[in-house]
Amino acid sequence: MSRTTENLLELKNVVKIFTRASFELAKERVVYALSDVSFSMDIEPKVLALVGESGSGKTTICKLILGLEEPTSGEILYKGIPVSTWLRNYMKDYRREVQIIFQDPFETFNPFYRVDRVLWTVIQKFGLAKDKNEAESKIEESLEAVGLRPKEILGRYPHQLSGGERQRFMLARVYILRPKLLVADEPVSMLDASLRAVFLDHLKDFKKNGISCLYITHDLNTAYYISDYIMIIYAGKILEKGSVEEVIRNPLHPYTKMLITSIPVPDPTKRWTDKVKIDIAQLQKVSGRETIKGCVFYHRCDYAMDICRDNSPSMKDVEDHEVSCFLY
Amino acid sequence: MRIFKDSPKFTVGIIIILLLIIIALLEPKVNVYRLNGHSSTEIGLYETSLPPSRDHPFGTDPYGRDVLSLILTGLKYSLLVGFTAGSLATIVAVVLATLAGYKGGSIDAFITTVSNAILVIPSWPIVAIIVLFVDKVNLLYLSLILAFFSWAGSSRQMKPQIASLKERPYVELAKVTGFSDLEIMFKEILPNFLPYIFVGFSYAVTGTMMAETALRLVGLGPADIPSLGQVLNWALYSGALAQGHYFLTLVPIVVLVLVFVSMNLINVGLDEVYNPRLKKITGV
Amino acid sequence: MSQILDVQDLKVYFRTILGDAKSLDGVSLRVYEGEILGIAGESGCGKSTLVEGILKLVRPPGYIHSGKVIYNGKNLVELEEEEFRKMRWTDISYIPQGSMNSLNPVIKVEEQMIDGIISHIDISYQEAKEIADQALNSVGLPLDVTQMYSHELSGGMRQRVCIAMSICLKPKIVFADEPVTALDVVMQKLNLQTIGELREKFGITVVMVAHDMAWHAEISDRICIMYAGKIVEIGPTLDIFVSPLHPYSRGLLEAIPSLERRFARSIPGIAPSPLNWPDGCRFHPRCSNIMRVCEEVDPPLLEIEKDRFVACHIYGGG
Repeated sequence: MSRTTENLLELKNVVKIFTRASFELAKERVVYALSDVSFSMDIEPKVLALVGESGSGKTTICKLILGLEEPTSGEILYKGIPVSTWLRNYMKDYRREVQIIFQDPFETFNPFYRVDRVLWTVIQKFGLAKDKNEAESKIEESLEAVGLRPKEILGRYPHQLSGGERQRFMLARVYILRPKLLVADEPVSMLDASLRAVFLDHLKDFKKNGISCLYITHDLNTAYYISDYIMIIYAGKILEKGSVEEVIRNPLHPYTKMLITSIPVPDPTKRWTDKVKIDIAQLQKVSGRETIKGCVFYHRCDYAMDICRDNSPSMKDVEDHEVSCFLY
Repeated sequence: MRIFKDSPKFTVGIIIILLLIIIALLEPKVNVYRLNGHSSTEIGLYETSLPPSRDHPFGTDPYGRDVLSLILTGLKYSLLVGFTAGSLATIVAVVLATLAGYKGGSIDAFITTVSNAILVIPSWPIVAIIVLFVDKVNLLYLSLILAFFSWAGSSRQMKPQIASLKERPYVELAKVTGFSDLEIMFKEILPNFLPYIFVGFSYAVTGTMMAETALRLVGLGPADIPSLGQVLNWALYSGALAQGHYFLTLVPIVVLVLVFVSMNLINVGLDEVYNPRLKKITGV
Repeated sequence: MSQILDVQDLKVYFRTILGDAKSLDGVSLRVYEGEILGIAGESGCGKSTLVEGILKLVRPPGYIHSGKVIYNGKNLVELEEEEFRKMRWTDISYIPQGSMNSLNPVIKVEEQMIDGIISHIDISYQEAKEIADQALNSVGLPLDVTQMYSHELSGGMRQRVCIAMSICLKPKIVFADEPVTALDVVMQKLNLQTIGELREKFGITVVMVAHDMAWHAEISDRICIMYAGKIVEIGPTLDIFVSPLHPYSRGLLEAIPSLERRFARSIPGIAPSPLNWPDGCRFHPRCSNIMRVCEEVDPPLLEIEKDRFVACHIYGGG
């Protein structure tokens, strides 16, 4: 496999449409889960955060990268080659190099088996050890690397471990596999606050092992904590992207600004001073959107102009990062 | 296993059915001993219509057969038919439900159509006709016929459960680890489905036993497979109840009821322990 | 400020095959009229159990082992279920965790509220409807919502409906358990602000259970921090953030990533199990300020200054 480009991962104009049955006869509801998403991650191990709320399309991106779904149009390239080609011809290699950590530490374990099986399976599937002894020592090493004690963990069933232990166990699985790209889908949202930092530290440290991370979350705080670059996604479109300091210190898009001001700050001297208004747009569930006309954020934007209703802004370089908004 | 401790209903059910099975297994030995090598269905072995005594705890029937031995044989054959047909039906149901539930799409559509068609067919008359017109119906054929009409109901119930298990994150993790579809179906999904398989199995067993008994009561079915239903049929046709043969008519019914009750207890027990929504209420 | 609720040494245990899980193991707390009290702590600390205990919503295998909850001169623990049921919604109200997901999907929002109202007080359908509409209005929901089904609403809106339901009969206290978890950030802010306003608008005392310290920073007046089934610190919000006394409180505050700083540090170790609380101070296996006495003696909760409570040997009580 020759590398024709220097990008580890590249999404080009990816569109994903889901059709749902509608109550009106003979009509199907079309939902644009992703409309024209493009971004890339380069070969150098980095953490790229994808920040968005429920219905923004972040989980869809996750599934597309892992090949669990196919894009309706556009390309997803890993090391310059489409994911579909990887899965068709080089599936084992792709699975070895691109891995995932899920949000729910309990449901990722098959309750029928002991937790050890998760590690043994990857060793067997990818031929990571010559014999049983080497496998056992690799397992121990990986558990210790993520702060777990093998004697207390091995041989147990998932329900016998705590949420924090289970999620760290998944980190051990990543450690053994050493993928090139790790997609982490809300990995700490179900963990206690006091345990999140140590988990995220491991994700950061994985960079030293050559593992790049696409960190998907709704929580700007944790995204700020571990990422190098950040992308803000809303209703299937990326609105702003750049290095994390640039985007957080100098947010350009109205949605980014809204996110930042809506986060409760753990400082009683810095309470919110403004009041949020309720509007009809927030009443109903947001899940992708049903038309591709206009800017995705039009209905909620305080700065909405006529042009925003009819046209979709493209991604532009503004100041030190990129944003997709007609204000610029 | 903790289910015995957690669910007294399950335990009681298991005990009853095991007892019945043991009795059925011992039947050949017991009857050889009691009848001196004769078959329990042999007519005229003893005097007809004797009242209960030490030699004949349930008396003899209008054909001169020892009622107790007859019932033991009946139990054996009823259980044989039920478990054979039930097993066949369950295996088919599980395989097809797994294929349909996991693969979805056209495979699902096909299997669902077929199972719906079978469910819609009035099974009883067809089974009756087959049994009436086919010459030699042995145990295996009988079981096959009964199983054929039994698998569809189980399969239909199992499929949505499998379809939901397919959505679990650990299945996605398996896919991402490079598992093939077959591996996922057998190693990830089915083990978690075992309790439901047992439930489907017990419904299949009781269902086919009921169907077989129903056939017998109208006089259909091979006479050389003397199931409890057949015993009841003989009793009815010889006017046994009117003549005061209470044991002959009532004991087979009681035994059949025991089988159904024990299987149902097992079902309810399994449901209590494994159904996550019930768990919170029963506190198991 | 006058006291409205007095919890005295409340214990709620859960029966298991391995013995009793002592999820709430002796909690004493006073709630003052008109305040917003925050109860903080992580999963397993007992904060939800505390609310369930006060509201007598503990289900088997859980049971109230001992303790008193004094409200209006009566001990709620000893009250008959029938009598207490009349107090729910009218005196003491509750927004359970995840309540937005337990709205009935097959009846309209208005119907649900009316059903609830009628089951608690004896009035006509029409009067109940008026109360329901008014409650929805008072939390700023447009009247269109009354005719909608819950699945048509977003999570945040469903949560607002639950808030409306909890205040429609004008209770004196509302207990809210993780009221804005799993909501989008903007909805979170909106709903949190609404809960904070319940006091100004309706004179309701609010007790909010939440593990996210930032929420408490935004709306709580006082915070009560729990760990391993007990209270470890109580104090005014500002004091707790500026000078946390208990090592666990300090650890908790340091562990939170925020946009203000790119630093956070987790507390080492894992939370203990209610089946087997550690001897002595329950936090001692994870504490960096540990002394000999901490391993043997469980420190009592002491009031070391006005309204400032802490259970730690560093501050005496050994």
